[in-house]
Amino acid sequence: MNVELQINNSTNPNAQFVSWAPSPCRIRVTNPAGAAGPNASVKLSSTSATNGGSVGFRSGTTGAFAPTLTLTLPVNGTSVSFFTAGKFGQPSTNEGDVRIEARVGNTMVGAAKVMVRIRKNANALMPGERDRFVAAFAKLNNQGLGRYVDFRNMHIGAGLQQAHGAAGFLPWHRTYILDLERELQAIDPSVALPYWRFDQAAPNIFKPEFMGVSDNLGTVSFANNNPLQFWKTDGQPGVNRRPLFNIAGAPPNPISEAATLALGTNFSQFRTMEGNPHGSAHTSFGGFISSTSTAPRDPLFFLLHCNVDRLWAKWQRQNSRFNPAVVASFNNNNASPVGHRLQDSLWPWNGLTGGPRPPTAPGGTLAPSPIVAAPGLSPFVKDMLDYHGVISPASNMGFDYDDVQL
Amino acid sequence: MAKKLKTAKRTAKKVSSRAAMSVATNVDKTAKQRVAAITSAPLAVVESDKDMQAMLAVLGNTDEPIAVRLAALQALQAASFSVVAFESGRGDYVATLRKVATDPDPELRQRVLGILMRDKDGFAQKKLLDGLKDPAKALVPPEKALQLLSYDVHTDAYEIARDIVKKPPNDDAKREALRLLAADAKAAPIFEKVLRDKKELRANRQIAAAALHSLDPGKLQQQARKILLDKSDYDDIKATSLVALQQFGDDEALGKDKALLKSVKGFSGGKTQAKYKQTARQFLSKYSP
Repeated sequence: MNVELQINNSTNPNAQFVSWAPSPCRIRVTNPAGAAGPNASVKLSSTSATNGGSVGFRSGTTGAFAPTLTLTLPVNGTSVSFFTAGKFGQPSTNEGDVRIEARVGNTMVGAAKVMVRIRKNANALMPGERDRFVAAFAKLNNQGLGRYVDFRNMHIGAGLQQAHGAAGFLPWHRTYILDLERELQAIDPSVALPYWRFDQAAPNIFKPEFMGVSDNLGTVSFANNNPLQFWKTDGQPGVNRRPLFNIAGAPPNPISEAATLALGTNFSQFRTMEGNPHGSAHTSFGGFISSTSTAPRDPLFFLLHCNVDRLWAKWQRQNSRFNPAVVASFNNNNASPVGHRLQDSLWPWNGLTGGPRPPTAPGGTLAPSPIVAAPGLSPFVKDMLDYHGVISPASNMGFDYDDVQL
Repeated sequence: MAKKLKTAKRTAKKVSSRAAMSVATNVDKTAKQRVAAITSAPLAVVESDKDMQAMLAVLGNTDEPIAVRLAALQALQAASFSVVAFESGRGDYVATLRKVATDPDPELRQRVLGILMRDKDGFAQKKLLDGLKDPAKALVPPEKALQLLSYDVHTDAYEIARDIVKKPPNDDAKREALRLLAADAKAAPIFEKVLRDKKELRANRQIAAAALHSLDPGKLQQQARKILLDKSDYDDIKATSLVALQQFGDDEALGKDKALLKSVKGFSGGKTQAKYKQTARQFLSKYSP
C-alpha cells in the first residue's frame, strides 16, 4: 500500500514548509495493494535530521499537537485531512530536515520532507543558513536592478509618508518585509528573513561572511566568498555603514526588548517605538542606514526591520492584540494620514497613485505565497495584525519568529 | 472615566517628553544627564516647533559640549524618520546642518556632511569638491570626501577621482576613488586593468570586480574565467571570481566549460584555503555533480 501526503494541501515542492501555525494537510491512499479492508489505519510520525526541526500533528482544527497521529484512510483514495505545525523551540536549519512518515504497522507507506521555516536571530544562524540567505539576497539585489529596485523605491520620497510617522508604521513595514521575504523564497525557498536584535551584542552579523565589516570611514568589506560583495544600489556598488558603537556589544541608545514591550498595553503607546528603539537603532550608525532616503541601500536595514516586526509580534502575543476590532490592537484615527487607518489599503501594493498617495506605486502587488493566501495581494492595514491566524486561521501569513509562540 | 484615563496617559507622556526636553536643554545639568535625556525620547523633538528649535539650537551652538551636540544630532536624525511630523522643521534642520558642516569638531562635521550628502545636498557637494581641489579648504580627509560624493556623483567628481586613482595620497583615497568611479560608464577599462593586476591591493581588485559587474557584467564573466584558469592568481580573487560566475553567470555555458571545471576542481583541493575550497566545491556540485 502507498499513501500520498500533501503538506499545505499541496505536493508543490515550494509548499513543503510549515511554521508554528497549523498547516492544513491531506493524506490519501494512492495504491491500495495489500490493504485488508475498505479502510486502513495509518500512523503519522516524524524524524528529524541533526539540528533539524520538529513537527506535531492533530486531526482537527482545535486541540493540542502530538508527536504521532493515527488516521483511518479509505483505501478508495478519498483524502483525509489533518494538521501539522512546527514544534515551538525546534525550528529547521535546512530544507526538508524533517521527514513526516506514514506507517501501517511497522511498514512505511509514504513520507514527505518538510522544513519548519522560521525567522531567527541573525546572530545565531548556522553558517549554512547565513550563506543561503546572503546568496538569495545578492541574487535579489541583481545589480541594483529588477525587483530589488522596487523595494528601494518604496521607501523613498513621498512613499515615506505611507510608511512612517503614524499608526501605519508597523503594518506597512510588516507588509514590506513579508513581500521581500517572499521574493527571497522564490529564489531559495529555504530562506527566512533573519532579525537583528539591536538591544543585544550581535558580533556574528558584522563579519565579512555576513553583513560585512566596516572600516573607520564606514566602507563595508565582504569576504571574497560572500555574494554581497557585488551588492549595488543607486548605480553604486558597495555599502556605507559606520557603527557609532563597539560592535562587540549592543548599541547603547535603543531601549531594551523588555522596555519596548513595557511601553504600554495599547497600540497607541506601543507605536512610540518608532522613535526608540526603531529610530535609535537606525541612528546607531552613520552611512546608508542612518537616513530615511538611503536606509534600504544597506541590507542590514531589512534585518533591523525584521526585529521591529518581531517586537510588535511579541507585544501582540503578550497583550492579545491580534484582533483589529479591539481598539487597543490598533489606534484607528480618522484624522490619521491616508494609509495609516485600519480600513485603508496599503500603498504601493494597492497600485493607487496621486491625490493623498505618492505619484507612483513601485512593484505591483504583494508577492504571492505557495502556502497561504493571506494577507492577499493588495492588503489593508487591518489585514496585517493577525499574522499567524490567532483570530482566524485564514489570516495566517506563513511566517513566525523563533521566540514568539503561537 | 475611560476618556479621562486616556487624557491622563497622553498628558503623562507629554510630561515625560517635556521633562526630557527640559533636561536636554538645561545648561546647568551635566553633559551626561543631558545626553541621557535626549536619548530617552528622540521623538520629543518633533512634538512641538519649540522643542525642535531648541534641539537645533543645541546642535548649532559651538559653546555646547560636543557630546550633547552629537546626541542632539542623533535625536534629530531619529526624528527625521517620522517624516510627516518632521516636515515642518526640515528647512531649519537643513539650514542648521549646513552651518554645522564647517564646525571646528571633525566628528560632527563628518556626520553632518554625511547626512546632507545622503539627501544630495548641493551645498555639501560643493564644499567637498572644493576641498578635493584645494586641500586648504578640505572639511574632511580626501577619502571621506570621495566616499560622501559617491552619494550623488557628478562629472566633476569623476575627473578628480581619476586623478586620485593615478596619483593617490593614500591607499584609502585610491579605494574610495575607485568606488566612486564604479558609477562612471566610461570607467570599465580601469576596472578591467585593476582586476587583472596582481600587484594591485587585493581589496581594490575585489572592488574592481564589483564595479565591472556593475558596468559591464559580460566583461566580469570573461575576466573571472581567466582568473580561475590562471594558476598563479590569489585564492581570494579566485573566490570572488567563482562567486561572480556562480551567482550571475550562464549556468548552461558554465556546465559545459570543461577547462574551467577542471581548474575549479584543482582549486577545490591542494593548498587552497579551507573556506575557498568549500566555495569551489559548491560550484562543482552545481555545475559538475
